[in-house]
Amino acid sequence: MALDVDQRLEKARRPGFGVGLLKGMAVLLKHLFKRNDVIQYPEVKQDLSPRTRGVIALKEENCTVCMLCARECPDWCIYIDSHKETLPPKREGGRPRKRNVLDRFAIDYALCMYCGICVEVCPYDALFWSREFEYAEYDIRQLTHEKEKLSDWMSTVLPPIELEDGADIPGLPTKAISAASASPTVEATAASPANVTSSAAEARPEQAQTAPREASAATTSARPAETAPDAPTGPAPETAKEASGLAEEVKEQQMDAAAEPAAEPEVKRDTQGTVQAEGSQAEVEAKAESETPSAPESTAVTQTPPAMAPVPDQAPAATPTPTRPVPKLEDLEAPEDAYGRVLDEQTKAGSSPQVAEARAKVARVKAEREVTRAKAAASQDATPAPEPSGAPEATEPQPEQGPVAPTEEERGAGSAGPQEQTGAGSAGPQEQTGAGSAGPQEQKGTKGPND
Amino acid sequence: MIEISLTAWQILVVKLLIILTVVPVGALVGGYVLHKEMAHMQHRLGPMYAGGWHGWAQTLADGIKFAYKEDIIPASADKRVFSLAPAVIFVPVLLLYLVIPIDRNLIVEDLDVGLFFLLAIGSVGSIGVLMAGWSSANKYALIGALRSAGQLIAYELPIVLSAAAVAMLAGTLSLVGIVEAQDWPFILWPPGLGLALFLLFLVGAMAEMSLPPFDMPVAESELITGPFTEYTGMRFIFGFFFAETAHMIVFAAIGTTLFLGGYKPIVPWGPLDVIPGVLWFFVKTSFMVFLLLWIRFSFPRLREDQLQKFAWKFLIPLSLVLILVTGAWILYGP
Repeated sequence: MALDVDQRLEKARRPGFGVGLLKGMAVLLKHLFKRNDVIQYPEVKQDLSPRTRGVIALKEENCTVCMLCARECPDWCIYIDSHKETLPPKREGGRPRKRNVLDRFAIDYALCMYCGICVEVCPYDALFWSREFEYAEYDIRQLTHEKEKLSDWMSTVLPPIELEDGADIPGLPTKAISAASASPTVEATAASPANVTSSAAEARPEQAQTAPREASAATTSARPAETAPDAPTGPAPETAKEASGLAEEVKEQQMDAAAEPAAEPEVKRDTQGTVQAEGSQAEVEAKAESETPSAPESTAVTQTPPAMAPVPDQAPAATPTPTRPVPKLEDLEAPEDAYGRVLDEQTKAGSSPQVAEARAKVARVKAEREVTRAKAAASQDATPAPEPSGAPEATEPQPEQGPVAPTEEERGAGSAGPQEQTGAGSAGPQEQTGAGSAGPQEQKGTKGPND
Repeated sequence: MIEISLTAWQILVVKLLIILTVVPVGALVGGYVLHKEMAHMQHRLGPMYAGGWHGWAQTLADGIKFAYKEDIIPASADKRVFSLAPAVIFVPVLLLYLVIPIDRNLIVEDLDVGLFFLLAIGSVGSIGVLMAGWSSANKYALIGALRSAGQLIAYELPIVLSAAAVAMLAGTLSLVGIVEAQDWPFILWPPGLGLALFLLFLVGAMAEMSLPPFDMPVAESELITGPFTEYTGMRFIFGFFFAETAHMIVFAAIGTTLFLGGYKPIVPWGPLDVIPGVLWFFVKTSFMVFLLLWIRFSFPRLREDQLQKFAWKFLIPLSLVLILVTGAWILYGP
């Protein structure tokens, strides 16, 4: 074999001269007689999987022009135009509503890279993946499809997959989270639909007024979540609905919510939930005060309080703990402690592997923090615990938690599952600062329940 | 042949007409087989539309397309040589068909020196390739032509020597005589030697036709289309595609004649004699074409130096040894 040295070495490792060549030929012969898998596309269409991500369809009536999709789009290929429209008040003496009207929604599919971030990020289920994929054009400019075309594709979108038995209902707080941070969670759900109907900026003051009231009621309504897991789904969505401005329903619902804990007197009311509720409430109220000047809102405010007033008074009557302990920032627990306690209660109610896992995680995080804290203390006695080690002492997170507490909690509340829960518990101050820097409050609030 | 009284000239004209229709049709069919076999071996479907049924008219459509193309001759090209080169490549291929016995009596001209004629005419094409490469005034074409010339010289020897061994065994240069001299089991006789000669011929033929893995002269990733880089339209078709397939078929026919017993039945069994020799010849040639294509699709292209080394350091010594063995077999064999 007068070939290269390399080749000779290569051959030495092989069974024999020419065997490799014959093997190669055998492979080709095998393929010649194999059934050919080629799908002759235009004539025969491939059996695509049901959730194929072919094109992005728009459900126009769900779009609130929140612009999240356009902003998140890495390619900036979504074009949205809108204008504001004033609707007459629903009831006499009400204030006129404003809403955004979508004028143009276009996706440039010449730019789109089909990452699906817009579909993921849409809080109102206005964007969907469609199986349609045959929309090639002869001119690149024609690949910018307007909302009419995008809406046409909605007909090809499959209905969502059914939830498993016992799954958390999307848009509602998870059981554990709702228990841990009762008030902000429900406030989040309450706040979001308000945005759906009324334009975000306009509605904010009013929403801020109603939301804390909701929240205080919700502390009572959400409490049973710990002991009776099936109960909370009832009142929670309704409280959400109320905030959208239906005052009558609000009243009824408040009564229901208040009555709920009364039926279960053994429910222990912990200070944590209430305290946080108070903290956030106080904060939002303060905000609301600064923003209330317009007339219709103030009437709305005056209308509702009578209905709301009894709620806080009623709830404590049923529960052993007295009403509204004064929210002292120093008294707040560190997040991981709060979660640990919630988990304790959950395990009492009935332990599950997930809970056990979550407990283990919390314990681990706690232990780590102890270690870092101890280290920090050992190294520098004089200075307080360093920032990154993140000892979430009550004093430390509070200044930050003040403005952003609702948003942070909402985010945790909206996302389901035990991992998320421990994640929120262990993340501590980082999480909070992250939430603080992440945009307007109402969008956070709306995002939570929907994702 | 059929008993019709024709003068020798008339017979010749008829025979030439047959050749002139059979060769292009064969080349078209061969091109289609090439497309399809390659596609299916690579798990594709190949042409599926032209003509309706599995793209049967694909090569015909290709031919028509090329016929409509503009015939461009580069400004700095040697125009006369450039125009002539495709003919110099294609005509010898046609001439090769003249001496191949399709049946015992079905042959255009049964030359006494048929084998010699085949080998001599078969090498003329390389002159055409050189002409094309040189006259194109294109460096890719020139490099391709030089490679082609070097390759033809290197691989002509194994072919000639293996054919010489066959002639020694048959004791004649007449192709009909060679076929007649062969007997069951054809290439397995003399044992081992027949097969070795056949493989030697196969490798040489593939190199002579510039088929992969010996297609350095037209290595498209390095040389565009080698000597045919500057050609367009019909000249390109005749010099390159048509010549390639026609060449492939004629070499398959030569291989059939020299090693596979030509028009004889594959098994010496009475009832099989009923089947006409033409059919046997066709079946065997088809098998040879299939084999050539199969090898062609299986292996990647060699490097130029590997090709030359393989020829001069392995194939030519081997063919000389095989000549010696053949002589020994004739002298001392049974």
